[in-house]
Amino acid sequence: MIPQVYYLALVFGIHIVAVNLGISLSTIVPLLKRRADFSGNAKLDELAKRIFRVYAATYALAGVMGTAFTVFLLSFYPEFVGLAGNITLVPFAIAILSILLHFLSIVLYYYGWESFPRSYHFASGVLLALTSYTIPLGFRLVFSFLNTPVGLKFDGKPYIDTFEALMNPTFAPLYLKSILGALTFGSLFIATIAAFSLMKGDSVEERSLYSLSLNIAIVSMFLMLLLGPWYAMSLLSTPMKFNNIFGSLGWSVSGAQGGLDLSWLFTVKLVLIVVQIYAILRLTLLGGKSVSERFNLALLATISAALTILSGEYLNMFSQYPFFLANLPIVAPQIPEPWRTILGRSLSLENVSPLSNDPSLLAVTALGILVLLAAIGYFLYVVFFKRQK
Amino acid sequence: MDLLSQWLSYPAALDRILSIIGIELHWAILQYVLGLPLVIMVALLLYARSKDERWHEMARTMAKALGIVFAVGAAAGTLSEFGLVVIWPNILEAAGRYIFFPLYAEIFAFLIEITFIYLLIFGWNKIGIKAKILLSLLALFGAWFSGALIMSVNSYMVAPTGIVAAYDPASGWKYDQGFPKVLLVVPNDVVNVLEVDKLTSLGMEVVGSGENGVSVLLPSKIVSRLIYESWGNVKVGESVLSLVIRNEALEGLKGLLVKDVVDIIVTNTVRSVGYTMVTFLSPVYLGSIFHALGSAVTVTAFTMVGAYSLLLLKGRNEGKKGYYLAGLRFGIVLALITIAVQGLVFGHLIGVEIARSNPEKLAAMEGTSNSIFSLSRSLGIERLMSFIIYGSFDAKLPEYDSIDKGYCVLDGKPAITDCRPPLILHYLYYSKTGLSLLLGFYALIYAILAIKMGSISTILLKINVLTPIAAQLISFLGWAVREMGRKPWSIYGIMTVDVAHTANPGDPLSYALIALIIISVALALILAVWRLLYKPSLGEV
Repeated sequence: MIPQVYYLALVFGIHIVAVNLGISLSTIVPLLKRRADFSGNAKLDELAKRIFRVYAATYALAGVMGTAFTVFLLSFYPEFVGLAGNITLVPFAIAILSILLHFLSIVLYYYGWESFPRSYHFASGVLLALTSYTIPLGFRLVFSFLNTPVGLKFDGKPYIDTFEALMNPTFAPLYLKSILGALTFGSLFIATIAAFSLMKGDSVEERSLYSLSLNIAIVSMFLMLLLGPWYAMSLLSTPMKFNNIFGSLGWSVSGAQGGLDLSWLFTVKLVLIVVQIYAILRLTLLGGKSVSERFNLALLATISAALTILSGEYLNMFSQYPFFLANLPIVAPQIPEPWRTILGRSLSLENVSPLSNDPSLLAVTALGILVLLAAIGYFLYVVFFKRQK
Repeated sequence: MDLLSQWLSYPAALDRILSIIGIELHWAILQYVLGLPLVIMVALLLYARSKDERWHEMARTMAKALGIVFAVGAAAGTLSEFGLVVIWPNILEAAGRYIFFPLYAEIFAFLIEITFIYLLIFGWNKIGIKAKILLSLLALFGAWFSGALIMSVNSYMVAPTGIVAAYDPASGWKYDQGFPKVLLVVPNDVVNVLEVDKLTSLGMEVVGSGENGVSVLLPSKIVSRLIYESWGNVKVGESVLSLVIRNEALEGLKGLLVKDVVDIIVTNTVRSVGYTMVTFLSPVYLGSIFHALGSAVTVTAFTMVGAYSLLLLKGRNEGKKGYYLAGLRFGIVLALITIAVQGLVFGHLIGVEIARSNPEKLAAMEGTSNSIFSLSRSLGIERLMSFIIYGSFDAKLPEYDSIDKGYCVLDGKPAITDCRPPLILHYLYYSKTGLSLLLGFYALIYAILAIKMGSISTILLKINVLTPIAAQLISFLGWAVREMGRKPWSIYGIMTVDVAHTANPGDPLSYALIALIIISVALALILAVWRLLYKPSLGEV
């Protein structure tokens, strides 16, 4: 694989894990705050605010990495971005406006915690939660289109029939799986925070939060186990991806162009899911654990959930390498010229823009990313661990 | 002349309006992201020197404001970025291919900004004064670095590196000689298949040669036609290129896309100039970056003047009055300095650069047309303007009515019926200049009165409250002149607006809905700042 793809994978990986955490935190925090408001529980209120601070920081990280991904994409693959921009107005518009409203709601929710009337504050929390689901709606529509271009038409120029695109067989399972994966990861993350707090001293609020988040994790994990096979089956519509993921395990579809063998990554993902199930079962069904054991198990489940998301996204991404559009080899013969030629090169991940294909630029980028990740690490340390003067 | 209809008559009117709304939201917020770190740093320095708690309190309030505006500003930036992707995908593709470097480097500037701005805000109670000063300096660096990078791309769009304008203040317009012209470095392999004599007869000038190829100045009407054909997926055989390719080479090349040939030439040109430097060498870059930063600090300063005046008017706590007065004085001094420098130095610099590199825009700005009521003509300041711009009373201002209506078009393509910039620019520009002068004089008079009188009159405080609106309006008008004045070009001399535009625009209803959401977000932000910054300040009173 070419180095540009690794850069995209790096920033996208960090972005997607942070975003997944955000979806669940922006759902759970407004619920906790609402419960604290109704019960007048100041400790629960404080707990919710603490978690929201974590969210604000991770969302900033997600935002930066998301921007980095877009900029890298534009610099390395400008023709692809130009092509995508010409045909994806509706899905991107949904995602962009949701991002704008989501950022606004973060600001309103965070700064309005004490100063807004409760109903206004809750309304901004509802906006926060809702937009966290509509952002991936737009992006996942684009992702499913990049699996198989349902709704792509030509009338002298390419365009997408949005309603047809919504019927993409990979769209619904991909979107729902993403949401439930996010809820599993985020609720396990909160359970870990609660378990960590319980190690420092018992409190009713933290115990209640710990149980609540574990319950959410169990339900969403169970649903994930149903949605995973659904998405896998939907990939039969993109034979190349299906074969690259499952080929070495004995399942394949005939007539597909070969690519990278990623069965090993799929196996890793399965192992990570098993680890999560084991940790969740130990935490819920098998009693008699010490607080430190609970923390260790919750942490194990959280880390494996994050890595499950990462491995799942990388499976999705690399299994169609070297194409942006997995089904390009299948649909190409039906595409009229000159679009067949244009799509053929603009949808190739190996067709990097000549000016940005400069080794010194890539080296400086690597150095810059390292320095700035260190700065972000220090930022997170100051925000969460450094004591006040 | 119906000036609004003229502006709307260029292609993609709705998309342009939507872009104005989205980008103006970003810019309106962004000015505070550029201005506030400077204010915070100076206030912290004053505090470090004097130990006067008022400066520390001011810095803390401004840091809180910075946190709010940065988050929404970043979101509005994402909106603008994706807005460009879906509404102007072809110009974005060109930018990503040839002038990507500042956009690429901007990600690091953005990382610096976000890291140090939030480190300053979240770490406020955990770090000492020296660390705060350092962080505010780094936040300022990140924000200004980011601004410098983005402005270089915008400057390139206003006047690309290597453009040679079509006007000489001594002899007038030079359209008959093929100007404006664009500098290109054509690789030797490409030169070998071209009929150089034919191209020369069409206005091409050979200006040098080297190992990278032959440097030529090509009339921009040919360049814009080739760019039009590139994004229209025209093949060489059906292109104007076929008229200047040697017969023996044409057979093998006619199946190629024009875009591929153009790509070879532009890539070679950018590589010859240096891909990291090409946008920074735009002839309008220096004036643009200084003018943009100056505008941001001016708006921030007047916003401080307005905010502290409001607190003085509404506040009842005498104990806080000293702090509000300090904030007001700080704001007015900063506003006075920046508006003076903006007008006398940066404004002049960008004006001269525009006159040299984009004279059609200057003609529209000065309204040198008989079809409108020209303010400069009626005020009798045309010769003064000539002196200010060209350094000579005898120099002629470019005449709008003599601009060749078809100077951006070759044989009817791209589909632009009038290549002249919109004349509405004249009124926008003079409104902006007039308002700036008014605001500047007001700041001067107010500063003198405030210092001389000691106490502050209520009427003046009430007027002060309106100054941020005036400053924002001036800034908006400035951007309007800059962006609308480039039409019908998206990149002056190279790409017209119809080529830059998406092949699949949205319908008016969906655009109206998007505009409504953007405006609602802007209003919600104003409300939030009011509620989260102003109200608590009064609550402490």
